[in-house]
Amino acid sequence: MRLPSFCKDTGTNARPNWLVLLAVIAVLPWFSGPFVLHLAVLTCLNILIVSGLAVISRSGQLSFGHAAFVAIGAYVSVLFTSAFGGNIVLTALAGILLAVVFAYFLGWVILRLKGVYFVLVTFSFGELIRLVLLDWGEITGGANGIANIAPIKLMGYAFDSRARFYMLALVAALFAVLAMRSLFKSPLGQAIDAVADNPALAESTGVSVHRVQLVAFVMGCALAACGGVLQARYIGFISPESFNPGLSVAFIIMLVIGGRKSVWGPVVGAIVLTPLPELFRGAVQTQHIFYGAALILILRFMPDGLISLMAQLRRKSKRGHRD
Amino acid sequence: MDWGLLLTQATMNGLIIGLLYLLMAVGFTLVFGVMRMVNFAHGEFYMLGSFGAYYFTTGLHLPFLVAVAVSFIATIVVGGLLEWLILKPFRRDELNGMIVTIGMAMILQNLALMIFGPDPLSMPAVAVGTLALGNVVIPNSRVYVVGFALLVLALLYMFLRYSRLGRALRAVVEDFEIASIQGIGARVYYPLGFGLGVGLAAIAGALMAPLFSVSPFVGSTPLLKAFIVVVLGGLGSIPGAAFAGLVLGLIESYASLFFSSSTADMLIFAVVMAMLILRPRGLLGKGEI
Repeated sequence: MRLPSFCKDTGTNARPNWLVLLAVIAVLPWFSGPFVLHLAVLTCLNILIVSGLAVISRSGQLSFGHAAFVAIGAYVSVLFTSAFGGNIVLTALAGILLAVVFAYFLGWVILRLKGVYFVLVTFSFGELIRLVLLDWGEITGGANGIANIAPIKLMGYAFDSRARFYMLALVAALFAVLAMRSLFKSPLGQAIDAVADNPALAESTGVSVHRVQLVAFVMGCALAACGGVLQARYIGFISPESFNPGLSVAFIIMLVIGGRKSVWGPVVGAIVLTPLPELFRGAVQTQHIFYGAALILILRFMPDGLISLMAQLRRKSKRGHRD
Repeated sequence: MDWGLLLTQATMNGLIIGLLYLLMAVGFTLVFGVMRMVNFAHGEFYMLGSFGAYYFTTGLHLPFLVAVAVSFIATIVVGGLLEWLILKPFRRDELNGMIVTIGMAMILQNLALMIFGPDPLSMPAVAVGTLALGNVVIPNSRVYVVGFALLVLALLYMFLRYSRLGRALRAVVEDFEIASIQGIGARVYYPLGFGLGVGLAAIAGALMAPLFSVSPFVGSTPLLKAFIVVVLGGLGSIPGAAFAGLVLGLIESYASLFFSSSTADMLIFAVVMAMLILRPRGLLGKGEI
């Protein structure tokens, strides 16, 4: 079983540098314009959601319907508020809980499929959810979506500005990364890796492949729903089109380019790719061509993503220290 | 309302749409059979085919049939080259191969956007007038399209059934290892299989160009349909794709008489999910798993 090099690392001299860099990147937005703050919030939410996709991917399955669970989290929490009012924690829990229930029953049935069949069935599920949201106009607002969603209020403190919401988003992203780290150090995380590595061997050593993949799928979808809850409150508007298959593809791209096998892959993927559209402003086509080319090149020459580049750099610098 | 007439008309429309689905799906399943890749760029080759037909007829003033043939051959060459240049390291790598085709689709679609612009173009009809069969009236342009599609299918059938290349290709689809033991080399058959598969998508695009509009975005719906058809017919099964393509066309056409189109779409996705879970090898089934 291959552990990501970040977890295995015993040297201490190189690691803090990356953490300092990350901390600087995380703090910087507060001192920049509202636009950078906006990008930073989106990046944090993407870290949360893509981390969920990474858990599923590390159990050996690629979900093409991740956006559907973001949608479920967003819609359920918003509709719950408009139906019963109530405090934000409860409505967020409702959204995440329903996503978990969906993921559990769906996963229980579809996780017996493998490889491409799993991809296709999750893709169909994503389309089905989008069509249901479109068609169920009386409740979901149909194609018009739901606008004017109130911002999050916790104990009288409203997260209604970008700077305030960024705190929340940063905590969420930090939570996701720490949760992933401790998960993949725990026996359960190792079981998840083992199941992806060699299902037959895992099964014969007493690890239930189906059960481990189900746990991974449910956890991944819960993180996605969490992202959905926050996103709806931040943007203030949701519609079925904001959760189209293109979004699921975008999550897959972030995961693959960042790195599928490392806890830090989603972080790198989200930080690199979320602000990218702004570099190509007014040239959406060039941006998409760049995405496509980056995807192909990364898969060809760096199948473990950008994060593997950093691990390599570190290994080199460490060798330098020793000499 | 005359239900008999309505049903016959729906059957005719269903057959036309079904032929489109069939061409798309047979190519899609051929690519999957040879490469073990779900080709998310398949719709973009449909789009290239329809642009080919548009520019060869309106720009170069070629006859429609020649334009279709030229787009087909050009797409086979382009597809074979792309396979060789980009997909070669990912052959038979189901997941990574699939993600690579997503990248390829993004590149092709956005190149088309830059070159041709986003506005839909409309192509002049191939033929004017209508054909009356009893009470049912069909525009001649559609009759032509159906005729060409049937011709293409007959040629494809002959190629796969009787020619040396076609038989070798089927052998690769059937069992890659045994085929290579028999001396069927991968060097030719991967680019050929991919090229031929996307060439069929280009033919579908070229044939449908006079009926629908031509724009860089036209590929997404046929891709979705091909994907549904192939799941119903069984991934990698050519007869399954042919059968399921016609069936889906007919069902959609009949369903439009009774349901709103969004209900029909939801039903179809529910059926696809059920199919994948209960019978992943497809309706006609052999296949794998």
